[in-house]
Amino acid sequence: MKFKKIILFILGIIQSSLAVSLERLSDSTLSNVQGQAGLTVEQSQLLNIADFSYIDDGNSLTFEGIRISSQTDVNASSSQRYVIDIAADGALSVQTTVNPTQLHIKGIRINNSMGSFGDLTLNFESVTDFTIKGMHLGGLEGRFTTGISNAEMIWQTNGHAMSFDNISFNASIDNFTFEYDAIDNTKGFSRTGLALAMDNFDFSFSTGALSLSGVSLGELSGNLALSANLQVFGGGRNGAQGLTMHSQISILSDPENYVRYTDDGNSLFMGDFSGFLNLTNLTFDIESDHLAIAFDQMDGSFTAEKILMGDSTRPIGSMELNFLFEDDLLNNRHNRWQLYPGIRQPDFNTMPDQIKSYAQNFYSSLGPASEGLSISTQWNLANADLSYIDDGRRVVISGIESYGSANTTIDVRDQKIAIGISDLKGSYSIDGLRIGNKTAPIQGGAELLLSLEVFQAMDFDIDGFTEITAGGASGGGIRIDGDYFFNNANIGLSIDDTGEGIWATGVNYDIHLRDITFDVESEGLKIHRGEQWSTMDIANVRWGNKTTGLSLGRVKLERFEQNSSLAIIPGGAGQVCVGATAGNATACNSGGGRWEDRGEQGMTIALKSAFANAGLTTDGSAFARNRLTWENNRAETSPGSGEYINDSGTQIIFDNYSTNDGAGISDTNNYGLQANLNIDVYETKVLKKSTGADANGIAGNIADELIYDNTDRDSYSYVASPNSAQKALRPLGFAVQGNVSFKELNIDAIQLKHQNVASPQTVFYGVVMQNLNLTTNLTATPIQ
Amino acid sequence: MIKIMLVILCFFNTLNLLALEPLAEEEMQQVLGQGGVYLSGDITINENGGPLNDLADSSNPAIWQKNCTGVSTHKRCGARIAVNAGDGANSGWLVLDNIRGRFSFEGMTLKTRKIDTGFGGDGALFNNNVLEIGLPNTVSYGDVSYTLANSSQARPTDTGFNQTDILNVNLDGDVSLRGNLLLFPTGNP
Repeated sequence: MKFKKIILFILGIIQSSLAVSLERLSDSTLSNVQGQAGLTVEQSQLLNIADFSYIDDGNSLTFEGIRISSQTDVNASSSQRYVIDIAADGALSVQTTVNPTQLHIKGIRINNSMGSFGDLTLNFESVTDFTIKGMHLGGLEGRFTTGISNAEMIWQTNGHAMSFDNISFNASIDNFTFEYDAIDNTKGFSRTGLALAMDNFDFSFSTGALSLSGVSLGELSGNLALSANLQVFGGGRNGAQGLTMHSQISILSDPENYVRYTDDGNSLFMGDFSGFLNLTNLTFDIESDHLAIAFDQMDGSFTAEKILMGDSTRPIGSMELNFLFEDDLLNNRHNRWQLYPGIRQPDFNTMPDQIKSYAQNFYSSLGPASEGLSISTQWNLANADLSYIDDGRRVVISGIESYGSANTTIDVRDQKIAIGISDLKGSYSIDGLRIGNKTAPIQGGAELLLSLEVFQAMDFDIDGFTEITAGGASGGGIRIDGDYFFNNANIGLSIDDTGEGIWATGVNYDIHLRDITFDVESEGLKIHRGEQWSTMDIANVRWGNKTTGLSLGRVKLERFEQNSSLAIIPGGAGQVCVGATAGNATACNSGGGRWEDRGEQGMTIALKSAFANAGLTTDGSAFARNRLTWENNRAETSPGSGEYINDSGTQIIFDNYSTNDGAGISDTNNYGLQANLNIDVYETKVLKKSTGADANGIAGNIADELIYDNTDRDSYSYVASPNSAQKALRPLGFAVQGNVSFKELNIDAIQLKHQNVASPQTVFYGVVMQNLNLTTNLTATPIQ
Repeated sequence: MIKIMLVILCFFNTLNLLALEPLAEEEMQQVLGQGGVYLSGDITINENGGPLNDLADSSNPAIWQKNCTGVSTHKRCGARIAVNAGDGANSGWLVLDNIRGRFSFEGMTLKTRKIDTGFGGDGALFNNNVLEIGLPNTVSYGDVSYTLANSSQARPTDTGFNQTDILNVNLDGDVSLRGNLLLFPTGNP
């Protein structure tokens, strides 16, 4: 009985859509129709709906100007063909062919808001095969396949468009079930809802190009196989209406899973991945001026066994991420998104002066009625760990925690995607590293990440405004221009799990980036930094606690670079002779060195910093230079406050340092300062530094090697002469083969400034360093 | 030159102010252990010359274009630091020239830790964090060399360049460095 009702309901829906617009078949067309079993319906429709609203607790989400039409003529009908059949087992089969069609939505508003989310257009054609039948104990089950091709999706705001061109999408579900028997007790009362289960949901997608004004940002493609369960309940987080969902998604372990970004034929590739994602109490509510999306908890795991950058023959290793986002009611930290139609500009009057004018300029062309998307976000990452596995050797960045909030705006403007972030306030911290496996004891050593500009902890308050343009240094790719300001941040440079250590506190960091391009090339990822200038002003470098620790004083670092670059290249150092010069193991060992084969995986970071001579920036907005200032003996703002007045103390200043190609500051600056780092995870020789028992009570002699007892790496001994098997149980760490070189690094002056004089006095009228080529083979191991 | 000496002396004097007395092994064990990094490896300077010696780079000045294999001893193959300690354009330059060689070590440690015991009772009074640089037991010098010189100009390519070498230094062998260097702020920040 229940099944019949559902069938009638579906037929009713089909019938109502047929009623939209039918056109008369000609006699000649009718004469070509062959009699077949089932029902074939050919439909053409031109659908115009002035507005369509979804109302939740009296608040409306309105889709304006909905139009379904032909792609070639928006005033002409599109056509579809339905083949409906009932199989011998009672299953209803519907095969739908949609000829080239355009779906257009002119605007999306909430409660008739002035601003709109923008204008959306979807051009597509598709073939869908859908089979459904009743289940023995109620509910529906079936299977589903669809293929969407020659599709294009366009998002347009204020007359400017971003498009995903030439989209192809194929999906299949081997078996799905649809039942009304899900029970939810998570909110202190019981409710019944819909339960949807999908077994082996396999989909693939590709986009010919993500483009702005016809220039490509790159191409995306992927394939994913998963199984999922979804429970849907009436009632959201606020009020009586809305929507609540729980979901459990399992990414099936399948070597065919992948995501690929392609730029001019070269790809960033992440493949052979698996994992899961669970969501609890995902809610949707329409509020008076926004769409509210929230969840209580999201936990998941994601493993990518194969990661490629450009060079398809050299994987950089594999990655594993585990995470738990969870509301923290005690500290009032939640996971929330509020999506507002239009652009909500920040309050410029509360902005720091260093970024205020850039922010005003960023929003100068927009008003209350402008189209776009504004998002207010809160997050609470309760715990996460990230593993990097290089040739089977694992390093885990463990105990990652973060919380915060931010306001974001996104719109498309003249050939650009504009992203404004204001009041990005929050904190993150990393407990430490685990080496070898995920259950190994936690160790210090997160300082090793400093070379990658990853800090152990940070309290931040950031305003940043970014414009993304299509087109890299060559062909497609991504170009970024942006202005950013970190206000009164605290940065943990070397701290323990209690937060004690070395902190940079009260940090004001003013960064300006111009013409930064990202390109994937055959060798790897290339970032060209056209021009950047910044000032990092650290009020205090503190030892101990970040608020009360002893201070080394103030450090101010000003930077000005033009035509610098960064490349991330797959593959590490390979075979290395540490401590001698040799090309093979025998010669290395006989030369007093240590031969290490660090494997095929790993990564190489090639950095070129072209420090520019002091001068105006290209846009003329600032006079920039490279300068390092250390100041202490400052006056306190008030006795005992622990806060000090900048520029009131004594200073040592390294002024206007720059690089050139060897003939002085009037020379070209093509070489710059180059730093190439080959980074691997590798076994490290760790020697005992004194005879006797160590802090953990393990005895040994000076110069004995620390060797783990087994692969669990939870206990160790000291060994005078380890054999080959024991050498494989040496502590793991980062092995870095580095090379730093420059043709000339010039410092204009080294100066001292007393607080009672207006201008600094010069100690050295110039330092000229030339022709340096410094190579290091360092292994750095975390220690307890 | 006097200014240079004064600055160097000031620098060492600062280090002396920061220095603590060596810890005995039993005192070391009382120190609260925290995470850190163990470093070992080598550092090599201009083993095969520097970027200005690159013969394939035609933009390099001719005076720098030398064949600088590992066995070459040409004076332009090393790194060079010139410091103007006078009054600018009218004074000469103090130069460390032709800097080359290899330093290798095992077991330098870097860690932050809190000292609140030991040191004959001073540790409890100190009760603060320090950055500890654990010195490697041995640092090996492999053919480390440099030249100390006076020069009329900063660069060998500058007009009127004229340099007088004062002495050459060449180091081979091992240096024993034991103990810890503790760094912490003091005085008025």
